[in-house]
Amino acid sequence: MKKIQIASLVLFAVLTIAVCLLESGTLTWLQSGLLRVISPISRSGSAVKSNIGNLGKDLLSLDQLQAEHERALAENRKLRAENNGLRDLQQDNNHLRQVLGYRERSSFRLVPALVLGHDAGVWWSTIKINRGSADGIAPDMPVITDKGLVGKVSAVSGNLSEVLLVTDENCKVAAKVEGTKEQGISAGSRDPGGELRLTFLSKLADLQPGQKVYTAGVSGGIFPSGIALGTVKSFHARELDGEAILEPSADLGTLEEVFIVSGAK
Amino acid sequence: MRQAILFVILLLLLPIAVAVQDLLPAILPFQARILLLPVVFCFGAMALPLVPSLFFALATALVQGLVLLQIESGQAELGLTVPVVFFLVWAIVLQMASEATYGTRWEVHALGSAMVTLSLLGVEFLVLCVKRGGFPLEMTVLLRIVIPSAASLLIAPLLYFTLRKIVPVFIEEAPLPQKPNFSR
Repeated sequence: MKKIQIASLVLFAVLTIAVCLLESGTLTWLQSGLLRVISPISRSGSAVKSNIGNLGKDLLSLDQLQAEHERALAENRKLRAENNGLRDLQQDNNHLRQVLGYRERSSFRLVPALVLGHDAGVWWSTIKINRGSADGIAPDMPVITDKGLVGKVSAVSGNLSEVLLVTDENCKVAAKVEGTKEQGISAGSRDPGGELRLTFLSKLADLQPGQKVYTAGVSGGIFPSGIALGTVKSFHARELDGEAILEPSADLGTLEEVFIVSGAK
Repeated sequence: MRQAILFVILLLLLPIAVAVQDLLPAILPFQARILLLPVVFCFGAMALPLVPSLFFALATALVQGLVLLQIESGQAELGLTVPVVFFLVWAIVLQMASEATYGTRWEVHALGSAMVTLSLLGVEFLVLCVKRGGFPLEMTVLLRIVIPSAASLLIAPLLYFTLRKIVPVFIEEAPLPQKPNFSR
């Protein structure tokens, strides 16, 4: 064996041991570095994906327009096309007003962010958003939409962050059930059903499907009180406690825009 | 020198694979994901000589470990030891497979990619079961392991032939040996 190969193997052994012994602080720093490296690819890829999606929507609108033209032969074709174009703009405008309105109505200081993509990790539920430490984002900040709680920031780089969704097994949220004194801990599950499990409820809790569940906002916790978390789907008593299955309030499968709660107003 | 260039190209492909696999849509109805990192790893482990392939396995483990890093109560849930051991073992196995099949063959690469993906997801699931407790081995869980593995099997030839176009001089696929002729 050549000397250079022996030296390479020794270097390799040292590196392997060093990598295995890295502490969580160093790992977080390295993870932030990796996010920084993939940030340009994620952002440009997300933009391309969005453009392709919009192209599909535009084609669909043209199909719909064509169908309408055929039904309304008496109407002026040019005027109808212009009206449809204006309607699209109006829809966009209404959507933006709704988003802006929620931001202004909210009692929290909110930082809007775009979802760049869902992470490919099979056993973890995380998404990437286009805001990072440059926008004042820090780990453990809650992430919400106008519908309800989305999750919490789990890793941050300069202009990209990772959000752990409420449907992840590791995202535990103290929650209370509307109209009762029941409180419990909500978390996702490894079995990917997209539901939440609210545990540590009373065995005798009389919960009905459709009841709303909100964050309890315990002291020392990271989630403020009163954010919609989900709706009760079912309840069953277990050996020591009661467990409710919840449907998340926010539609986590089709997230496009979210808000990071950076503090109270 | 040529091997060094291939090594650098493959190293650059690792973060690109991570970014691209996040952008790919989930496969309905089980929300299974397409994983590109194991496919890139298999190519590197088979195309590079032994010592560089070990370094490449270490780099892949580092990237995979950081991608899945979740800090719970100040502790990394999965850490880097599991991915490091996993990818090193597979690098050695793939090197042996590459030698046994006289070069980097696309069929072996595709099969290896599927096997690495299958075992990677299986190991992650088992480690989580040990760390978090419970063993929810249900049909949806099995499908979330099997579907990405099948996707890797299908995607691997695409990456293989693309890389061969880019770096044709680096990967020599030797012809399979002829059957010995014992007749006189």
